[in-house]
Amino acid sequence: MTDDMHTLADGLRRRDPDLLDRLIEQYQQRLYRYLLFLTGEPALAEDLFQETWIRVLERGHQYNAKSKFESWLFAIARHLVIDVSRKKKFRSLEELADPESNQRYEPPDERGVSALQLLVTRENEQAVQLTLLKIPAYYREVLLLRFHEELGLEEIAGVLSLPVSTVKSRLYRGLDALKSALPEGAA
Amino acid sequence: MSETLHSRAQKLFAQSLVEGLGAAEQSWLEQHLRECAECFREAVSTRELLRAFRNVPVAVPLGLAARTQMRVRLRAQESAQTSSGGALLWVITVASWLLGVLSAPLVWRGFAWAGARLNLPKPVLELGFVLWWAVPALVAVGVVLHQRGLNSASASKQP
Repeated sequence: MTDDMHTLADGLRRRDPDLLDRLIEQYQQRLYRYLLFLTGEPALAEDLFQETWIRVLERGHQYNAKSKFESWLFAIARHLVIDVSRKKKFRSLEELADPESNQRYEPPDERGVSALQLLVTRENEQAVQLTLLKIPAYYREVLLLRFHEELGLEEIAGVLSLPVSTVKSRLYRGLDALKSALPEGAA
Repeated sequence: MSETLHSRAQKLFAQSLVEGLGAAEQSWLEQHLRECAECFREAVSTRELLRAFRNVPVAVPLGLAARTQMRVRLRAQESAQTSSGGALLWVITVASWLLGVLSAPLVWRGFAWAGARLNLPKPVLELGFVLWWAVPALVAVGVVLHQRGLNSASASKQP
């Protein structure tokens, strides 16, 4: 694993075009999904996907092989999302940079129908997909990194440049937000 | 069953998803979920929710990877050209500077000789000598700035 990471770092330092081609193929699904979950806009996610790989090319020498490549990749993509959100004034995404500066998220108080019932009676994935866009981007992000990408808490903390305690707290709140938002999102 | 037990079970269940549990807590939680239908339903519901979350379909746009690969390769080529062009410019600059320093006495003698022949005042000679040095440097700076402008314009035209 470490040898692979060192080989990868070496290739990135040399700007090996074949290596970059392979990485783009290998990570296309995960990176695009991450960007789409964060932005909620396919066209923007596509632009950012390309920009992320340009940054990987230009800053490949900064990858030190101490962390997983995907953590480094997601961190680059995240910074691009924050940059774009600041330029284009996407308020929901600006919260990624500083969520504490915004109003606390208030989950909808609709617990009449359990999440399970909804999931059984409706198109599960579609319901969740709709619901996802209703919860704040900083919760979507941690949920994706933890439960989709299956990154560890410390790896997520590395991607977000945050303490592990903050990551945990966002995960707990994100889970609550997802569960609470589902009835409304699927209604 | 008391609210405290339900509340503890829900807290531990969330903890098991987020950061994992120790053996004793895991065992307590499993025991509670076997005995409490309400907490068991809640746990199943949450697991189903996460399963659905993992299965949210995301289709990568057709050709996105190929377009990105092409763009990255083009940028790499541009960077390589800029980098080799920059190195060449440095070599030329250093060579030109050395040549200038070594040839300075000869150039000054040439200016003095031409001044004497044309009967020019000394300030004109000095100004000519300064321009002899400054004009090539100014032209070189102009060329570099122009080249940079062209590079950034072509980079911004990239899709």
